[in-house]
Amino acid sequence: MTLHSLPSLESRYRVTGHPQLRVTILDVGLACCALEVGAAITAGLLVPQESIDTESDGFVVSVLLISGTVTDALAPGIIRAWATLEEPRLAVSFGACANTGGPYWDAPTVTKGIDQLIPISVYIPGCPPRPEALVAGLVRLSQPSVVTHSDPSGESR
Amino acid sequence: MIPAEAHGTIALRASACTSCMICVRECPTWCIDLVSHTEQVSEAGARRPKTVNVLDAFRIDFGLCMYCGICVDLCPFDALAWSPEHDHGATTAAGLVQGIKELEMAWPPTQPPTGN
Repeated sequence: MTLHSLPSLESRYRVTGHPQLRVTILDVGLACCALEVGAAITAGLLVPQESIDTESDGFVVSVLLISGTVTDALAPGIIRAWATLEEPRLAVSFGACANTGGPYWDAPTVTKGIDQLIPISVYIPGCPPRPEALVAGLVRLSQPSVVTHSDPSGESR
Repeated sequence: MIPAEAHGTIALRASACTSCMICVRECPTWCIDLVSHTEQVSEAGARRPKTVNVLDAFRIDFGLCMYCGICVDLCPFDALAWSPEHDHGATTAAGLVQGIKELEMAWPPTQPPTGN
């Protein structure tokens, strides 16, 4: 896999307990945090769907979920993934590494927070965060206080 | 279902904190910020006033925190403890920094401090 040919890993989910929320997640699982996304599916918190209903009322969004350590080598791939995501789209930073660099805060080759690269709508803390925290973060996305970033050049970074 | 003893977040009991700085110095990611000053306290019958630390600010940057619990383990006064709270995400990176007020809201923990 090269940085210029990221496979399409987008999956559609219903969020248990929140029927209004229908999300298409492009999971950029770069480190151990990515396992918690699998845990959320196994625990039934996220239910995979063949397709999502975009017609009826609710909150339908494409989510770029960055879970794990973003190194300088991977940074162009993240920007590319964000650019290819369908609108409306929001980016979620999942875990300490994505939020701030986490335990690698002083490593020269690690991005100190992916908000340096793309606009982030919700930050989920943890190392790793619980699967329940992922759901709480997705629910937070649907709150009106979250700014919808549509411009990839990111004026409101 | 989240177990009651889950390591969701870290709670503070500011009244128990003596500003000894052990948590700040031992944190692997240096995510704790503590500000204190000293005050002279005179007690009746004492030969001289004693000097005590007064906590002004205590902040944990949960953007950096690895939830390793070293601060909880090392606190000699049980001022820090695990709490099963987990929904403390934020819409800005700065929103992940919690001060005394937010950290105390997670107290009391449902799990008693170890060693008691």
